[in-house]
Amino acid sequence: MAHHHHVTSADIAINGDHLDPSKVSTLKTVALVVAVLGTLASLYLLFWAPVKLRAPFAYSWLFAFYFFLTLSIGGCFWTLLHNVSNSSWGTSVRRVFENVGSTYPWMFLFGLPLLCPNVQQYLYEWMNIHRGADGIRADWLHAHNHLLSNKFWYMNLPFWYGRVIFWGVGLSAIIIALRKISTAQDTDPTPGTARLFKARFHSTYTLVIFALTITFTGFDFMMALDYRWFSTMWGVYLFAGAALNSMAVIVLVATWLKSMGHLKHVAGPEHFHLMGKLMLAFTVFWAYVTFSQYFLIWYSNQTEETSYFLIRNTGNWNIAMITLMFGHFVVPFVILLQAWLKRNPKLLSVVAVYTLCMHVLDHYLITIPERGVSLGGETMSKGPDFAGLVQQVSIPGAFWGDILAFVTIGAAFVFFLVRALGQHSLYPNRDPRILESANVTN
Amino acid sequence: MSTTRKRVYGYLARFKSASALYKAAENVRDAGFKKWDCYSPYPIHGLDGAMGLKRSILPWFVFFGGMTGTTTAFTLAYTTQVVIFPTVVQGKPANIFTVPAFFPIMFEMTVLFSGFTVLFGLLALIKLPRLNHPLFASNQFHRSTDDGFFIAIEARDPNFSATATRELLEAAGGADIELVEEEDQ
Repeated sequence: MAHHHHVTSADIAINGDHLDPSKVSTLKTVALVVAVLGTLASLYLLFWAPVKLRAPFAYSWLFAFYFFLTLSIGGCFWTLLHNVSNSSWGTSVRRVFENVGSTYPWMFLFGLPLLCPNVQQYLYEWMNIHRGADGIRADWLHAHNHLLSNKFWYMNLPFWYGRVIFWGVGLSAIIIALRKISTAQDTDPTPGTARLFKARFHSTYTLVIFALTITFTGFDFMMALDYRWFSTMWGVYLFAGAALNSMAVIVLVATWLKSMGHLKHVAGPEHFHLMGKLMLAFTVFWAYVTFSQYFLIWYSNQTEETSYFLIRNTGNWNIAMITLMFGHFVVPFVILLQAWLKRNPKLLSVVAVYTLCMHVLDHYLITIPERGVSLGGETMSKGPDFAGLVQQVSIPGAFWGDILAFVTIGAAFVFFLVRALGQHSLYPNRDPRILESANVTN
Repeated sequence: MSTTRKRVYGYLARFKSASALYKAAENVRDAGFKKWDCYSPYPIHGLDGAMGLKRSILPWFVFFGGMTGTTTAFTLAYTTQVVIFPTVVQGKPANIFTVPAFFPIMFEMTVLFSGFTVLFGLLALIKLPRLNHPLFASNQFHRSTDDGFFIAIEARDPNFSATATRELLEAAGGADIELVEEEDQ
């Protein structure tokens, strides 16, 4: 609190606080090997395995891809928000924000299989209908499928591909550029305020691109699993989970770095308290948005909207949905109310791990319940390849694929994050606000 | 004939800046005083730590106030909508599974009751409203809302001493030290 040592420029590492490569080389190697082997196995399962394995695995891949994408997107969000709000509290940990965000281009590459029609045919029914249309698509849809005809201006293949490429390239360019502005300061012999203001300016309009990316990747990859269904809360719902859980990752990384003796003097209980407060805020925000989505659909009771919850309240999915409500909101809300707990990096890290587990459950429930109904559905049951799959709430044994995809992309996430941490100083040691941040009280 | 008896309230000392007040507060804290306070025109970050203040009990009041709000709202909605007059809308159930419909009012009542507990709990803890304060007898104390930074140590503190306390405040950089007396009624 108030009695601790006042940090002065003598306490700041003049040439930066660098990760010792020998300390993390084992972790990096293991993560890389797991990611490469997992990717090879996954490519087989996505493209060459028998349909009984291939079709369910497309959902596994989508689930794992989008889960880790939310963490990367969240890293971009916190970087942008910190810059645009002219904040000083988080300068000590801003490099962690940037490094989590810098995994975005790599994580997006794991979405490339979803651009292949061979994978799409199991996920996106609307694409199958578009591709199966005779003659001019718009005319065919006008005659045969009123809903897809009305949605044609948005849901058409060229526009979908164009958008997806933009979501990948746009936010990647933003985070790479912002990280470059930030790290260039570390070695500048005459560091001034120019980069700070430059980063602030360029974080304004790019925040709009961020908002479009989290919203419409959600539309294009997730909501499009059932083209009949829609929710206007979808984007903000995914955003709430992304912001909360990327902050959980940031807390874990900061605790890990502290335990190795890094971020000394610059990040302490005050910073963890602030990050814990943000976790509490977004726990509440997630619950507010999630319930609002449920509530609007429950109240209006319209067939095309209720399907989402009908699927997820059928069979054992119902238990998982109720677990989510208590586990993702009630429990962490009460725990995170404790101020003393948020000031303790180790305890806050335990909560962060727990929150991430709930995020897994959340995204599992977003993607996977769709698998049983889609793969057993009418459209998919055509042809001899699909004869073995019947309408069901879940596909037995398919969760092994979910675990494989999750471990594969997760290992890649860890690899690219640790790699990013090792590339530059762990905190912006020549930022004009570093002392203000180091001495923050709240 | 009437004489006005006076009672000593304590010492009031003025400091020239927020940082001087902060450092003086640490000295007074370390001298073991309990019944004393700082007065400043604006909030000073970390002053609670420099004064050695414990965390307020108010959050606990608010927590239970909020819980009372949640329970009240649920009981109100459930009793009226399910028990007394079951209201069936759009074929939705009129039983415990009606609870999503009650969430908005449960949320609002939680906020309302929490707000009330904050306001009234705070007023009770800081003993407001009151008509007068002994420090108003001081001619310089009005500067605490303008440019004055003050520490007042009360005479009822067991550590209080007419000479030693004055010396402590002087050593801590206090100026215009005065012994404030209140009228005893």
